[in-house]
Amino acid sequence: MERLEETTGLSSDQVRRGVEWLRLKDLASVAESTTHMYSLGKNGLEAFEKGLPERRLIDLLKDGPKKLQDLQKDLGPIFGPAMGLARRNNWIESVDDQITLKASPAELSGEITLKKIGTGKMSKAKLDESDLNSLLKRPDFVVEDAIKSKEVSLSDDAKTIVLSDTAGAIDVEAKVPQVYVARTHPLKDTIDEIREIFVTLGFSEIIGSMVQPSFWNFDALFTPQDHPARELQDTFYLDSISAKKIGTPEQIKKVSASHKQGWRYLWDINEARKMVLRTHTTCVTIKHLAETKPDEARVFSVGRVFRNEKVSYKHLVEFNQIEGVVVGKNATLRDLMGIQKEFYKRMGITKIKFWPTFFPYTEPSLQTMVYNDRLGKWVELFGMGIFRPEVTKPLGINRPVLAWGGGIERIAMLKYGLDDVREFYNNDLNWLRSATKCQ
Amino acid sequence: MPVVEVSYSRLQKLIGRVSKKQISESLPFLGLDIESEEGDLVRVEYSPNRPDYSTDFGIALGMQGILGVRTGAVKLNIKKSNYSIKVNPAVSKIRPYVTGIVAKHGKIDEKMIKQLMAMQEDLHFGIGRRRKKSSIGIHDLDKISFPLTYTVASRSHSFVPLASESMMSISEILQNTGVGKDYGRLLGNSQSVPIILDSEQNTVSFPPIINAAVTTVTPKTKNLFVEVTGINKQDAEDMLAIVATILQSAGFALYGVRISGSGNSSPKLASRKITVSSDLINKSLGLDLGIPKITASLKKSRLDAAAKGKNIICTIPAYRFDIFGPMDLVEEAALGYGIQNLEPVVSPSQTIGQTNPVSAKLKSLSLVMVGLGYLEGLNSSLTSKRILYDMTNRDPAKTLSVLDSKSQEHTILRDSILPGLVENLSRNIHAQYPQKLFEVGTVFLPDSPIDEKVSFAAISSHQDANFTEIKSILQSALKSAFNLEMETKTMENPLFEGGRSASVVINGRTVGMIGEISSRTIENYKIRVPAAGFEVFLSGLVFE
Repeated sequence: MERLEETTGLSSDQVRRGVEWLRLKDLASVAESTTHMYSLGKNGLEAFEKGLPERRLIDLLKDGPKKLQDLQKDLGPIFGPAMGLARRNNWIESVDDQITLKASPAELSGEITLKKIGTGKMSKAKLDESDLNSLLKRPDFVVEDAIKSKEVSLSDDAKTIVLSDTAGAIDVEAKVPQVYVARTHPLKDTIDEIREIFVTLGFSEIIGSMVQPSFWNFDALFTPQDHPARELQDTFYLDSISAKKIGTPEQIKKVSASHKQGWRYLWDINEARKMVLRTHTTCVTIKHLAETKPDEARVFSVGRVFRNEKVSYKHLVEFNQIEGVVVGKNATLRDLMGIQKEFYKRMGITKIKFWPTFFPYTEPSLQTMVYNDRLGKWVELFGMGIFRPEVTKPLGINRPVLAWGGGIERIAMLKYGLDDVREFYNNDLNWLRSATKCQ
Repeated sequence: MPVVEVSYSRLQKLIGRVSKKQISESLPFLGLDIESEEGDLVRVEYSPNRPDYSTDFGIALGMQGILGVRTGAVKLNIKKSNYSIKVNPAVSKIRPYVTGIVAKHGKIDEKMIKQLMAMQEDLHFGIGRRRKKSSIGIHDLDKISFPLTYTVASRSHSFVPLASESMMSISEILQNTGVGKDYGRLLGNSQSVPIILDSEQNTVSFPPIINAAVTTVTPKTKNLFVEVTGINKQDAEDMLAIVATILQSAGFALYGVRISGSGNSSPKLASRKITVSSDLINKSLGLDLGIPKITASLKKSRLDAAAKGKNIICTIPAYRFDIFGPMDLVEEAALGYGIQNLEPVVSPSQTIGQTNPVSAKLKSLSLVMVGLGYLEGLNSSLTSKRILYDMTNRDPAKTLSVLDSKSQEHTILRDSILPGLVENLSRNIHAQYPQKLFEVGTVFLPDSPIDEKVSFAAISSHQDANFTEIKSILQSALKSAFNLEMETKTMENPLFEGGRSASVVINGRTVGMIGEISSRTIENYKIRVPAAGFEVFLSGLVFE
C-alpha cells in the first residue's frame, strides 16, 4: 500500500478507498502480512562505527603484545566482553599481565549483519540468520520491530480490463452513497392535502385554542354535565384551572335552559368553567358560529384534539382532527353526504357508504365507511350530521348547520400503509427519511 | 359504545320470515355496527341513546320495522292488578322515587337471564349514570308478598344479599361486597338507607346497591317483579319503559303496580305525540317525499304516524325517550326510508374558500426549513416532566398539568418544543448523521387562564454541531421566511452549555433562545454527538 502511495502520488485515503472499491468488485485482493524489521541498538551502532569489541581487541594486539592494564584503559567498558570472547576462541594468550595475539580471524560472526543494517532497517529475509542470531544474543545490539503491511494484488479479471482512454471516465454503473432529503412530516403533508381540498370546495379555515372551557367543548354542544364522555377518565381536565369568562350572559342562560329542559338536571356553571384539552375541534366551530351567526357559511378547522386513553397501536392521547360546517337555509343531509363523497374522491377513495350513528349534538347522524383494499375491510372514517336545534337555537344560530369531522391519522395510516398510529409521532429518522412523499 | 352479543337464529325466530343475510346486511342501517361474527353469534355495537338495543328482543323490534315485517309503534298492554308499593316520606332525602311493574307467564331460561342481565348492566351504566340517576332490580315475583313498602333502614339492618348465603348488615354489605364498595358512595353519609320491604318485613332490595338473595331469578322463575328507584321520577319511569317493552316482546304479560305516597305515583308508561312537518323532513334530508311515503318510513322506525295536512302527528312509545323533538323524527324518517337510499349530491359552493393566514405562514416557514436541510418532526404537546424538565435540567416551577392521565408519558402541557427535539435525537442514535430536525407547534404558558403560543424550534446534531452553525440557520430562516433581522445576546440557560447560550432578540425584544445543548443533557440521553438548537415564539412576532 505504501508503495502504491509513492508510485501513484495519491493520498493514503484515496488509495485505501480505491483498493476497497476494487475489492468490492472482486477485482483485487488484499493480503495482510507482518514483517520483522531489524535496526541497530546503542551497542550495535557503536560496534558499527568502531568495530565489534573483539575486533577492536585484536586490532590493538596486531602491533605486538600489550599490557593488560593498557588494554583495559584503551577499550573501556567493552574490555571484559572482548577479553572473554578472545580467550574462549583461543585467539590470545596471557603471560603474567602481558597479552599476546595467537591467531587473527579474518571475519567475525556478526560483522556481516552489522555492515548490512548499518544505520538503516532491514528485514529478516535479507539477513543471514545465524550471523544475525549472534548479534541478537548481545545486549542492545539489534532492535526488532514487527511491522504490519498490506499487499494488494489484482485478480485475473482485473488484469484483462481495458480502460477506456476517454479522459476522466468513471464507472457510471457503480453504486453511490445514500443521501437523505429534508422534508415536511408525512402527517403534515396529509393535513395540507386535506386543507387544500376543503379550500377548493369553498371552505375557509378557522383556528382556535386547544385548551377550552368545558362550556364550548361540551355544554354548548348539548352534552349533559353528567355524560360519561365528560368524566376524568375520558377527558383531560387541567389541574386547578377554570375560566373566568366562558361566554356572554345570554349564551350561558340559554344553554343552561336547554340542558335543564332536555336532560332534567341542575346545570352548574362551575362545571362549564372547568378547562379541558379539547376533545374535538367542533368547539372551535360552534364558538365561531355563535359569534358570527352567519346566514351562509362554509368553514373548517383542523388541529390537535385530546382523549384520556391508554396509548396503543390504535389510540393516541393526542391526534389531529378536521371538522367543518356548512350553514345555509337550503343545506340538506344529501349535500353533507355529497361533500364527503367529493372529499374522499379527491383523496383517491371511491368505495364509500354511509351508515347511521349517534352523536349527542347532531340529528340525524351518519358515519362514512370506506373500503380499504389492503385491509380487505370497511373502515369507519368521518362522522357527520345536522346540528341539533338544542345546540343551535340557544346560541342564536337560526339556519341549518351541517357538520362533519374525523381523525386525520386514520386517513394518513391508510395512505402510508401503517398499522400502528404511534409511528407518526415516533420521529424515527429512518422512517421519515424513507416514507414516499407522493402518495 | 356499548356492545351486545346476540345470535342470528334467535333473532330470526324473534323477527320472523327473514334470512340471516338480510339481518346481517340490515344491522348497520339500524345504527348497529357489527364488531365481530363467529358462527351463529354476532357482536354488535349500539348507540348509548338506544338502550332498547341492549337485548335481542329490542334489536328484533327495530329489525322488524326496517325489514317491513311489522311496522308501527309497539303498544304496551298493561293489565290492572292489586300489586302496590307504598312510599315512606323518609326516602325523599335519599332516593325519592320508586316505580315498578309485574311480568307474568314468560319463558325464562339461561339465555333469557343473560339478556336481562346485559340489559340491566347497560341501563345502570348508561342512562342510570352508574346507578346514580336510576337503578333497577329484577326479582322472582313468587318469592315476594305484596304490598311492598319503599322505606328507609338503619345501617345495622340485616338480610341475605344476592350471591351470599348468610345474613349481612347494610354496613357489612357496603364494606365487604364489590357492588357495595363501588356504589356505596351514592348514599353519602346518611345513617339511613333506602330499602324495599315486603308485607312480611322481608327485605326485597337495597337500592341502588343489591337485591336480596331470596328473590334471585333462576330458570325456574315464572313471574317477575321489576322495580326502578331513582333521584328523578321521569328518569325512573324511562328506565321502566325500556324493561316493560323488552319483557312484553319476550312474551310476558304485564301488570301494573300502584305506587303511592310522598310525591310518587303509578307509572303511566304512556306514549307521547310530536308533530313534524313534512317540509322539515324533506328540506333536511334533501328529498321530495309524499306524505304517505313519509308516514310509511316513520312506521318502519316503529313509531305511529298520521297525516294532518302537511304535518304528521307521530306517536312515540314511552321507551323511545331519546326522541326530543321534530329533528329526531327527521332521523327516524331517514332510517325508515333507508340511509342506503339517500343519494349524495354535490352542490356548487356559494362561498370562496381560504386557508387561514397563520396556517399559510407556517407552511412557508416549513418549506424554508426544508430548504435549509431540516426534516420536520412532530411531538405531542401533552408530554412528560421527564422530557420537559428532568432530562434538560429546566426548572419545573410553573407546569400546566392534567388530571388523572392514563399515560405517564402524557401529563404536562409543553412550554417549549426544543426539549422534545432533544429527546428525538436520543431515539435515533443509530441513524445516520448529521441529524437536523425542526418543529412548529403550540406551547402553553400559564396566563389568565392559559396563553397558547405558536413556537418554532430546530436542532442540529453531528460531530461538529455548534453555536455558529445553528445561529446561521435561524438567521437565514427568519430572514427568508419573514424578512426579520435578529441578534443574539449572552444569556445563560440550563438547556444550553455555559458560554454557548444566548437569547434571540428581534427589534429589541427577546423572542427566543439559542445555544449548544448542554453536555449534561447530552449525557443524560446517552447521545454520542454534540447538538445545537434554538426556539423562537412566533406569536407576538409574526402573528397576533
